[in-house]
Amino acid sequence: MSEIDPAVAIRAKRGEEKAFLEIVDHYYPRCLRFARNMLGNDQDAEEAVQDAFVRVHDSFPRFREDARFDPWLFRILANRCRTLLARSRRHRSLIEYGDVPISAAAPPESEDFGADWAEEVRMVLDSLPAEQREAFLMRHVEDLSYEDIAAATGVGLSALRMRVKRACDALRARLTEVELHDDR
Amino acid sequence: MTIDDRDKLIDRAARALSPLPVVHPQAVARIAAAVRARRAARPSRITLVLESMREPTLSYASASFLAAAALVLGFVSRGALKVLDGGSSELTSTAEMPVPNAAVTAVPAANSRDAAAAVSVPLVLEADQATSVSVVGDFNDWDPKAAPMTRYGADGPWTASVRVTPGRHTYAFLVDGVRLVADPRAPRTKDVDYGGETSVLMVTTP
Repeated sequence: MSEIDPAVAIRAKRGEEKAFLEIVDHYYPRCLRFARNMLGNDQDAEEAVQDAFVRVHDSFPRFREDARFDPWLFRILANRCRTLLARSRRHRSLIEYGDVPISAAAPPESEDFGADWAEEVRMVLDSLPAEQREAFLMRHVEDLSYEDIAAATGVGLSALRMRVKRACDALRARLTEVELHDDR
Repeated sequence: MTIDDRDKLIDRAARALSPLPVVHPQAVARIAAAVRARRAARPSRITLVLESMREPTLSYASASFLAAAALVLGFVSRGALKVLDGGSSELTSTAEMPVPNAAVTAVPAANSRDAAAAVSVPLVLEADQATSVSVVGDFNDWDPKAAPMTRYGADGPWTASVRVTPGRHTYAFLVDGVRLVADPRAPRTKDVDYGGETSVLMVTTP
């Protein structure tokens, strides 16, 4: 999905509600995809995205007109996802309840050889440390440049490359096993 | 092959995660409603005018805060050294400074429930080249129009008085409508959303 016309972000920053809603329409699907892949459940993902857009609205006066909008949006969204991840970790440590994670929603035979590929990918993704998952998704699913990811996460370029590499290594190792099982 | 080059397997994995989800119209409508409610909660211009006309009341806490702010203002005025005809220099005190062109702008606290507990805090910024400066902070929803600063004389410091409720607040100065500047005389904190720096203002209860 393409980056929105910078003029729209500037109009939204200056208080034009129509421009802000245009941004919401444009980015909501992509933000929801990122949040679902990060959090693994629809309810938390919707919450993260909606919180993020309200925070974008409230923070627009601080958005520099010469800055790019995508990294700024993803920074706010990633912050919301991290907050929700921490909250859900706290909940999980007490008791397992509530919404079923996407990766666990597959039928019991998902561990068998015929498991759906996307579910397998999600399961591997869920098993990665959050910072590796975040870097992998921003780079390979959201197609952000390393410079944009650095702006969005505040992490240095070399550390980001290493996170993406480790995520790819883990995915390769686990998904190769899955493919070998499926071939038998 | 670079450090994270996609091979076929990673490519397939990324594609499996790439389909865009269906967005429920209610989800977007909820954001629109939340944003409209926030805009409606902002104080109207009439409220601003009425609030600026209100006789200020001074508690011990706000008095001590204002005393500290006056010290800051005095510190600023030290920069206003005027070279006299005889070549000597003279320190111009705040009291001797020219009367501002307009009354110091008083801005109410964002939360009307706490308006009664709000205190007025003067803020000062030296920005010689600026053509406009305003105070933006969590107490005015970071609204650039909420707290415009006025200038002492033709080349003096920019000043404004903002009304804030007791507690911790973050704020910054918006220079020429585009550049966000932290207060050089206040403690700073990192903006969690953008990574830039903002200033911290602590207001204690009486």
